[in-house]
Amino acid sequence: MLTGRRGFLAATGALAATSWARPTLSADSIKIGFTTALTGPFNEFGEGYKRGIELAIEKINKAGGVMGRPVEIAMLLDDQLIPDRSVQNMRRILDNKEIVGLFCPSGSGPTLAVIDMIQADGRPTMNPQAQTPTVIYPGGPGTKPRPNVYTFSIQNDIEANFMAAILAKKYTRIGLLNESTGYGKTGGELVKGGILKINKDAVVTHESYNQKDQDMTSQLVRVQRARSEALMVVGLGADMAVIRKNMVRMNMTLPLYVSAGGFSPPYVEGVGDLALGTKGSQYRKISTVPPAPEVLEFLNAYKAKHGTDRLWGGDPAIPSPSMGGTVAGGYDGMTVLADAWKRAGTTDAAAVIKAMDATKGLIGVNCTYEFTPDKHHAVEVGDLTTYEYTKVDGRLTLVQANL
Amino acid sequence: MEEFLTLLLAGVSVGAVYGLIAIGLNLTFWTTKTMNFGQGSVMMLCAMLTATMIAQGWPQVLSILAALAVIVVLMVFTETYTVRPALKIEGSMGWAVSTLGVGIVLQGFASLWFGSQALAFPDIIFSAIDDVVVFGVHMSLQYLAVLVLALVLVVAFELLVRGTVWGRAMRAVSMDADLASVIGIPVRIIVLGSYIGSGVLAGISGILVAQIGGTVDPAFGFELVIFGFVAAVLGGMGSTTGALAGGLVAGVLQQMVGGYISSAAQHGMAFALLILILVVRPQGLFGQREVVKV
Repeated sequence: MLTGRRGFLAATGALAATSWARPTLSADSIKIGFTTALTGPFNEFGEGYKRGIELAIEKINKAGGVMGRPVEIAMLLDDQLIPDRSVQNMRRILDNKEIVGLFCPSGSGPTLAVIDMIQADGRPTMNPQAQTPTVIYPGGPGTKPRPNVYTFSIQNDIEANFMAAILAKKYTRIGLLNESTGYGKTGGELVKGGILKINKDAVVTHESYNQKDQDMTSQLVRVQRARSEALMVVGLGADMAVIRKNMVRMNMTLPLYVSAGGFSPPYVEGVGDLALGTKGSQYRKISTVPPAPEVLEFLNAYKAKHGTDRLWGGDPAIPSPSMGGTVAGGYDGMTVLADAWKRAGTTDAAAVIKAMDATKGLIGVNCTYEFTPDKHHAVEVGDLTTYEYTKVDGRLTLVQANL
Repeated sequence: MEEFLTLLLAGVSVGAVYGLIAIGLNLTFWTTKTMNFGQGSVMMLCAMLTATMIAQGWPQVLSILAALAVIVVLMVFTETYTVRPALKIEGSMGWAVSTLGVGIVLQGFASLWFGSQALAFPDIIFSAIDDVVVFGVHMSLQYLAVLVLALVLVVAFELLVRGTVWGRAMRAVSMDADLASVIGIPVRIIVLGSYIGSGVLAGISGILVAQIGGTVDPAFGFELVIFGFVAAVLGGMGSTTGALAGGLVAGVLQQMVGGYISSAAQHGMAFALLILILVVRPQGLFGQREVVKV
């Protein structure tokens, strides 16, 4: 601790040096706001993308801000992934007219609850995590997008096509389990549709569960009764742990495939070595070795600020690919929005949306971003790859695997 | 047959936990005609404390006992500062709000102390892979342990109530607290004891459920208390046998409906049962119709 006169001088010197090192920024900051799951059992998503946004803002402000103005998070509210709270929070945020950029809540349920009011409001909005396609395309994939909303997540239809192709190629009897949320329902339906499109004779046993259920025996019994050869689950990490343990208790040895959300930290924390062999899809770039320069910059910034913590995963050398969903979506979203502000030369909503629609070849952590007035998603099948939990040097690690 | 036994075992194990929670709710209902609506947070706190202490290297038994000791202190606080003042006003339902308030505050503190993310709960005695094969059916030892422990606790509780002086005193307070006080029964201690017993049963239930699920978070327990409440009403408020039977019926029915009819309908089943019993037999399966002298 710095005390006394010498301490005061040292502190003043350090402060002066810091001020000098930073570019001159106007006090009139550019403000963003969002509501997300900062607490609650699924807070790895909200806390994760908040960290991603913070890292991007630090980088932007260090480089002089946008139009000489610093970017700041002016309003950040907690909704615990509960749609009702998201609606109340978003109303408060939208009432703040100083905010010129918005981010959607974590998860499809809360996002679907607020997306119409966001569209009506008209301010440019980034969606870092919700996967349901109707968040962006209210009429379904391939239809006109909401004019002011852009997604940085893996849309359910993209992931479903990817997983359906893998499952339909290997199995004819497939168990499908999804959580009873917007994300789970649409994900489950799309995977089922994708499998049947490839193999119309496939038998898909489709069941659902509620988030935070502590026992899934009845759903698994139905999958077992249908003599399924594999089980695909569309859900999040904490529930995935319950399902995996339940499978083991029932001596179910069939291969387990999970959606991107299921690879989040609570899964492996909850089941430990029982996670071995769990397979699924996730972002390709973030866990590719050696990392691309933009990925390395992001990872170094994350490590410097947060260390190799639970969101990073078990291997200090390579991050868990789930970071692509938990953290990098927010980072990329903020980076692309700031780029649009710069190109528009203003934060006026109409001009920024026009600039967003002209985003082309912007290289992000998860993929290369290109938006047009008709295409407001960026992650495609080619940006995903398959992973499997394996032991590397005695540590449980998600490694890229050919499934 | 294997399917049926698997569903039955899961149903009776989960149902036994509902039964334990219901007995906890019954205990305070006996002595004060109140219930602790913060019971879910008590379950959560006990499980989170246990998980944290075990993660820090404490022996499992010591961790559980220490967590239960914290619950005892908490229940003394709850009864003294949130229930007793509310009961001074005749006919007041203030205790419902105050106990619920304690539960919400506990959730907030748990988020602050332990973090809001789900904590991994360790296997206690048995892990998910431990099983026994009975008639060719794999039966999880975790489920069996939950069932056996719940049954032992219910029997022990029944023996305590029926066969000891304190048990008889508790029954006397449940019938007429004023008269019990006049004949020298320490009503204050009995009421406090009922809250402590209720909390301990909730804490044990929390630990039993958490080791099955594998994780515990600050929002844990809320839904379980609702099912415990359904079990208590179904069995008949105030009846220990009824609480256990109500829990078992709710648990088994949930699993059977989920397994043979629709997994989407299994949660609604318990509430459908609650509505049915309130219409057909409001005093519950084992409860007695209340007679009021006018």
